[in-house]
Amino acid sequence: MTSPTRPSLDDPALAIPVDRAGVFEPIPMARTERQQEFYSLRDGEMLINLGPQHPSTHGVLRIVLKISGEQVVDLDPVIGYLHRGVEKLCENADYHQAICYTDPLEYLASLFCEWSPVMAFEKLLDVQVPRRAEYIRVLAGELNRVASHTLYVGFFALDLGGITPVLWSYLERDEIVEILAALTGAKLLFNYFRIGGVNGDLNHEFMSRLGDWMSHASRQVEAGTALLNENEILVRRARGIGTLDRDTAMRMAVTGPNLRASGVPWDIRRAHPYSVYPELEFDVPTRSEGDCLARYLLRVDEIKQSLRIIDQCLHQMPDGPIMAKLPRLVRPRPGRAWAAIEGPRGLYGTYAISDGTDQPFRMRIHDPSFVHLQLLSLLVPGNLIADTMAINASLDPVMGGVDR
Amino acid sequence: MDAALRARLETRFGELLTGPVRQRHDETEMRIGPGSVPEVLRTLHDEPGLRFTLLADLCGVDTGTDLQVVYHLWSETTNDWLRVVADGLPREAPRVPSATFLWKGAEWLEREAWDMFGIVFEGNRDLRRILMPDDYDSFPLRKDFHLPDDASRSPGGGVRPMERANPPADATADTVRRRSPAG
Repeated sequence: MTSPTRPSLDDPALAIPVDRAGVFEPIPMARTERQQEFYSLRDGEMLINLGPQHPSTHGVLRIVLKISGEQVVDLDPVIGYLHRGVEKLCENADYHQAICYTDPLEYLASLFCEWSPVMAFEKLLDVQVPRRAEYIRVLAGELNRVASHTLYVGFFALDLGGITPVLWSYLERDEIVEILAALTGAKLLFNYFRIGGVNGDLNHEFMSRLGDWMSHASRQVEAGTALLNENEILVRRARGIGTLDRDTAMRMAVTGPNLRASGVPWDIRRAHPYSVYPELEFDVPTRSEGDCLARYLLRVDEIKQSLRIIDQCLHQMPDGPIMAKLPRLVRPRPGRAWAAIEGPRGLYGTYAISDGTDQPFRMRIHDPSFVHLQLLSLLVPGNLIADTMAINASLDPVMGGVDR
Repeated sequence: MDAALRARLETRFGELLTGPVRQRHDETEMRIGPGSVPEVLRTLHDEPGLRFTLLADLCGVDTGTDLQVVYHLWSETTNDWLRVVADGLPREAPRVPSATFLWKGAEWLEREAWDMFGIVFEGNRDLRRILMPDDYDSFPLRKDFHLPDDASRSPGGGVRPMERANPPADATADTVRRRSPAG
């Protein structure tokens, strides 16, 4: 029995104002043309979330899948869970500090994230980098590329259901990061490149570890990929899945191995040479199929080319200084510079604007994973839900770079 | 530097250019008004002597007074990077035609420029926030968006000369001394 003095819950004076902005909308209000198309469901279709905490999404990526039965009809990737505002942070740090902010962007290939801003700042400052420093950069960079591609091979197999290859990949990668740790002092976030050179010279431990590894590296690559290349399950799940043709790849602004797997032989190391790459001999492997298997096999070919480059670097390493003469506080003259390099995932670019102070006025960081993630909504529809993982893994996005 | 490219761009685009074509290192830079973006990009992409088919980057820039959209393009006909700057977008209503009719992959890059600078790309069919949450209502990379905590300028920023490059305006000799390791 309610007493007459007890207030009713329907009393409008007791209503708690609800902040609509804070309420989670499972199906957001359609605002753009694309959202209207995506969030209007036909008979038999439903929406399902993949991620953000899903082991196959390579980080905190959420994909809203529109499915009909077991088939994906459409999908909408939702990103930004790892956004740290690195570009803004770099505008508020001086040029040397900005480099270490870019380091954790792409945590599997940190050296490449340092490389492009360092090159852009050197252009702003008109600094000539000593040749020995350039060789050390290429040497360390190619080692990092091998580490990144090795892990790619393992995770590609893992997402298709094979556990063993990823364990082998980690063994291989561990050896490489130990080598890099001997050189740079860190295993993951190296912070090794400096404006005008590198942080430290080659040392005995690095050379002896590298020599050990080089003696069995190519054999290990062969052993690891022999497990996969002829594997019935992997090949049947990857061949003909997620086919990206040449023109679409160009239209989607794709770069790097994903572009070369579609038959475009565009590698910045050859197309627009930087550092000492013109002095080194290597091939640019391409494949014409453009499917998941081609993207995987292309990375294996690239590992072999990287081993060739490392070998040449060791033989051609010149003597000399490893740093250009620079003041500790740099103030480039006002101007703009763009530097792009070929990383393990594609084009890493930095567009830096200087206003004459010790901090970049604007620093734009272009990351290939961000662009490549758009391909999901192009390649996945029409395939099964399980193929989402295969295609996502074959594109090799790293969410740290996507979200910046 | 490709001097021939500069001449080609100047003769081809003449009246569409809003500033001189500049060259430095391996970069060529041209400035255009926001209205002529589709025409210029279409010509750069299709014309046999230019063939800038690869979009390397698209980003927004806040110059402090107005906004810009910057395109970086690559072509096999030249060994320069081409930078196309769409200049002079007013802060209150920055609008520029979308580049998605040539490069579908520009869609997310334009979404990011909208997210960070509030630049509206007309013709982009999915112009919504991408990195920031949907209910966010400012544009963080604009110059009038200040970070609440600017670590590099705080008195605790560091004691070495390089790290103390910018002492905060309210720092006194006393606060700086107190934080040095010597006591």
